[in-house]
Amino acid sequence: MSAGPVLRAASGGVTRHRAQTFVIFMVLLISTASATLGLALLAAAEGPFNHAFASQHGADAAVAVNPGRATDAQLAATRRVAGVTAVSGPFGAASVTLTSQGFSLPASLVVGRAAPGGPLDDLTLESGHWPQGPGQIVLSEGLGFFPGLGAKMTVTSVPGKPKLTVVGMANSITNTAQAWVLPSEVSALRTTSQPRAAEMLYGFASAGTNAQVRGDVAAVSDALPAGAVAGYSSWLTAKAQASNNGSILAPFVDAFALIGLLMAVLIVANVVSGAVVASYRRIGVLKSLGFSPVQVILAYVTRVGVPAVAGCIVGLVAGNVLAMPVLQKSAQSFGVGRQLVPLWVDVATPVIMCALVALTALLPALRAGRLSAVQAIAMGQAPRQGRGYAAHRLASKLRLPRPVSIGLAAPFARPARTAGTLAAIMFGVTAVVFAVGLNSSLARAEEGQSLASTAPVQVALGTGNAFRPGSAPDAAITAALRGQQDTERYVAAAFTNVTVAGLTGQVNAEAFNGPSGWLGYDVITGRWMTGPGQIVVNTSYLTQTGLAVGDATTISAGGKPETVRIVGQMFNPGSQPALMTNWQTLSATASPPLGIAQYDVGLKAGASTDHYVAAMNNALGSKYAAYGPEGGQFYVIADSLIAMLTLMMAVVAGLGVLNTVLLGTRDRVRDLGVFKAVGMTPRQTIAMVMCWVIGPAIVASLIAVPIADRLHSATITAMGNAAYTALPASFQDVYRPAEILLLALSGLAIAVAGALLPASWAARARTATALRAE
Amino acid sequence: MNALIQVSDVSKRYDNDGAYAVENVSLGVAAGDAVAIMGPSGSGKSTLLNLIGGLDRPSSGTVTVAGQRIDSLSETSLARYRRQRVGMIFQFFNLLDDLTVADNVLLPAQLAGMPKARARRQVGELLDRLHISQHEKAYPARLSGGERQRVAIARALVNSPELLLADEPTGALDTTTGEEIGALLMELNRAGQTMIMVTHNPELAARYAGRTIRITDGRIAEDTGAAATAATGATGARLGTRETR
Repeated sequence: MSAGPVLRAASGGVTRHRAQTFVIFMVLLISTASATLGLALLAAAEGPFNHAFASQHGADAAVAVNPGRATDAQLAATRRVAGVTAVSGPFGAASVTLTSQGFSLPASLVVGRAAPGGPLDDLTLESGHWPQGPGQIVLSEGLGFFPGLGAKMTVTSVPGKPKLTVVGMANSITNTAQAWVLPSEVSALRTTSQPRAAEMLYGFASAGTNAQVRGDVAAVSDALPAGAVAGYSSWLTAKAQASNNGSILAPFVDAFALIGLLMAVLIVANVVSGAVVASYRRIGVLKSLGFSPVQVILAYVTRVGVPAVAGCIVGLVAGNVLAMPVLQKSAQSFGVGRQLVPLWVDVATPVIMCALVALTALLPALRAGRLSAVQAIAMGQAPRQGRGYAAHRLASKLRLPRPVSIGLAAPFARPARTAGTLAAIMFGVTAVVFAVGLNSSLARAEEGQSLASTAPVQVALGTGNAFRPGSAPDAAITAALRGQQDTERYVAAAFTNVTVAGLTGQVNAEAFNGPSGWLGYDVITGRWMTGPGQIVVNTSYLTQTGLAVGDATTISAGGKPETVRIVGQMFNPGSQPALMTNWQTLSATASPPLGIAQYDVGLKAGASTDHYVAAMNNALGSKYAAYGPEGGQFYVIADSLIAMLTLMMAVVAGLGVLNTVLLGTRDRVRDLGVFKAVGMTPRQTIAMVMCWVIGPAIVASLIAVPIADRLHSATITAMGNAAYTALPASFQDVYRPAEILLLALSGLAIAVAGALLPASWAARARTATALRAE
Repeated sequence: MNALIQVSDVSKRYDNDGAYAVENVSLGVAAGDAVAIMGPSGSGKSTLLNLIGGLDRPSSGTVTVAGQRIDSLSETSLARYRRQRVGMIFQFFNLLDDLTVADNVLLPAQLAGMPKARARRQVGELLDRLHISQHEKAYPARLSGGERQRVAIARALVNSPELLLADEPTGALDTTTGEEIGALLMELNRAGQTMIMVTHNPELAARYAGRTIRITDGRIAEDTGAAATAATGATGARLGTRETR
C-alpha cells in the first residue's frame, strides 16, 4: 500500500479545512493543558508533602544529640545501625531567643550548616543567599516571621545580645530548624552555662508510622552512649501540619478535574468525529477514485491526528507553564519547598488525549471505510431527511422573525450533534456557576477569618510585649487610636492557652476587652456571646469534647477552673480546638493575668486602610506596629486556580460550539446560499445561525444550574470537613435568584461567542459561491 | 423604451490572475422582455445571470437594474435588492428540504416583512395558479421534479419581482415536464414578467424567448436583439409580441 495518496489526502484535508484544523488544534491544546494542570494539582493536592519530601530528601527524624556524650565518630557510626539508610550531621545547634522590629520570637533552634544542600534535608533557598561569613543568619520559612533581607535580629538569650543580619529565607521540608548560621557561628549563640547541642538527621528504611520512627530512633539511641540522644522530631509531625491545606484544596480541584475531564472527552469526541463525518462526501469521492478502506481510514485518522498531536504537545507545555506558578504558590502554602508537575502526568496526559483522538476518529473512519462510495457521498451531503421537520412546522407558527424561527428549529436536524453541543455548553455553564459559587463561598470564608471588612487593621504587640489593660502602653496605644479621625471602634484582645475538662491538650483562647460582636465572626449555630460566663467555640472544640451549643464546659487558663456556657459555634477552621470569650470570663481563670496582645480596629466608611496603617505606625513609633489585612495564601491559590480552570473550560465549551456551528454551516452551505438568494440579509443570516445554538444553550443552562448548585454544596461541605469545620449557612447559600439568572446567561454567552465567528463567515459568504459550494 | 437592466462593460474573474469568466459584456434588457442566454458549459452564462441577480459582484463594469447600480451595493442592500426586485429559479430547484411547500414559498415574503395575511393570500394564489395547491403542506422531497420547479417558480414570484432569472430551469427535468415549465414561464412573460433564462437548449430558447444572447468564452458572440438594443437601449423582445407577429 502506497503512503503517498494517503498523505496527500490527509494534508489536503488539513490545509483545505483550516478552521476545523484550528478548532481541533485549540481544543486539544486547551484540553491537554487543563488536564495537565488538573492532574498536576490533583497529584499536588493529594501528596504535596510526599512529593516535596522526596525531592528535598527529607529527613525521617531530626535527632537532638548531646555531643558531650558521643563523639563524632560514634555518631557517624550510627549509619551502620539496622534500618538506617542515610545520615547527615552532626550539626552544631543552639536554642536562642531572637527579637526584631519589636517582636520577641519564641525560643528558636538555630543550626550551624556550611551549605543548604546535603544527602538529607536539602534546604530550598527561597530568597537571599546562604551565610557567607560571621554575623549572618538565614531564617526558616516555617518560622512565620521574616523581617526582610538585611534586617537585624538580636540574640537576647546570650550576654552582649549580638546582632545577626538576615541574608536569606530557606525552607526545610521537616522544619529541622527555625534558622541557620555557619557552623563557626553556633558557639557564639550559646551561653557558657548552656550545654553543647547538635542535630543529627536520619533516613530510615521504615518510617511510615510514629511507632516505626520511634523504634528507629530507639535503635540509634541504643547504638550510642547513654544520654547521647536528647530527643527527636519526626517527619510525620511536619506532614500532618503541611497536608492540612492540601486536603482543603483537594475537593474543588477534584470537582474541576471531573468537569474538565468529562468535557475534554466529550468535546474531543464531538470535534474529531464531527470532522470525519463532515468529510463523508470527500471520502466517497476518494473511494470512487480507488482508495481502499484502509487508506480511507488512515487518511482521516491522519487528518485529525496532525492538528490533534500538535495541540497535545503545545497543550502539555502550556499546562506545565500554567501549573508552575500555581504549584509554587501551593508549595509555599504547604510549606513544602518546590513542587513540579509529576513526570507521570507529563507522560500520561498526552498519551491519553492522543488515544482519545485516535479512538474518536477511528470509529467514524472505520464506518466510512466500510461504506460504498455512493453511500458515503450521499451521507455526507445533508442531514437525514425527515429530521427536524416537525420542529420547523412548530417554529413557523411562533410569532418570531423568520430567520429566528428557522434557526431555532435547525438543531433538530442533527440530534446527536446538538446533544454534543448541549453537553459542551452544559459543562461550560456548570463550571462557571460552580466557580462563581465557590468564589463567593471562599470570599466569605476569607472574610470570616481575616475580618477585612469589619476590622481591617490590627495593632499587634507580640506575646512578649503583652501588657495589662489600663497600663501606660495601653493608654498610649488607645490614645493613638483615638487620635486617628478614621478610627470607628477598636477592641483589645488577649491570646492564651486554656485547659478544658475532657481534653488532654491545650486549647487556643482569645478574650476581648470590650464589645466584640461587631467583629463579625461567622456563627454556624447559636449566637455570639453577650456577657460573662459565655464562650463561643469552633467545630473542633465541639467534636473533640462531644459537647453541643448550650452545654456547660469547664476551662482554666492556669488559674481556678471556671464553668462557662457554650453559646455559639463559630467558623474557625483547623484541627485545634479554639474558643473566644470576653475579658472578664477568661480573667477569672487566668494565672498569670491576661495581657493585651492585639487591638482589632474598625475604620469609618470610606477610610483608606493603607493610609490609616501608615498614620498609625507613624503615631506608634518603632515599638509597636499596625498591619492591614493580608490575603491568606490558601485563598490566593484557590482564587487563581478557580479563575484559570473556569476560563479554560468556558473557552473549550465555546470551541465546542464553534465546531458544531462550523460543521452546521458546511452541512447547510447550499441552504445558506438559498436563504441569501431569496433575500436574507447578512444580519438575518447571523441571527439565524446564532439561533442554531441558542435553544441548546437555554436547555443546557437549565440543566447546568442545579447540577452546579449541588456540586458547589458537596464541594464546600467536603472542604469544610477537610478543614475540620462545619460551615455557616451563608457559605452554602451563595446564589441569589437574580444572580442565578445572570449566571445561566453564561450559557448564552458561551453559545454566542462560539457561534459568532462561523455565523459571520456564513453571512459574508458570497451567495453564488455558497450555491456553487455543494 | 428604457432598459430595465443595463449591463455595461462588465468583466468577472474569480482569481486575480485567472481567466475571465465574463469579459467586457454590455447589454440592455427592457421591461417585459424574455431573453435566453445560451452557450457551452463554462462559457460564463450563469456568471452573467448571477451578476444581474446580485448573487455575485463584477470585477469591473457596472450593472444597473431599474435605475439602481447594484454592483456597488452593500451586502445588506444587495439582499434587499434580491428580495424585492429579483426572483431566482435554479436548475436543481434549491428548495429548503425541511420546510413545507407553503413555507418555502412564503420565505421571501417573510424576509421582506410582508404582512402575514397578505403573504398567506399571495402564497395561496400562486400555488393555485401553478397548480400545486394540493401539495401546500408537503415537503419538497415528496414532489416530482416538475412540481418542485413549480414550487421554486412560486417562491421566485411571491414578492412580485420585476425580474425573473432562471438558470437552466428545465435542465433537471424530463422533456415533457420541461415543456410544461417552459410553457409556464412563457405564460408569465406574456403577463408582463421580465425574464432572463440561461439554457443549453436551443429549442427551448427559440420557443420561449424573444431574444437570444450567445456567449462564448465569457464574451457575447451573438445577440439577436443587438440592433434594438443599440437603437433604444433595450430590445423589446417580449414573447407575446413576437408570437402575435
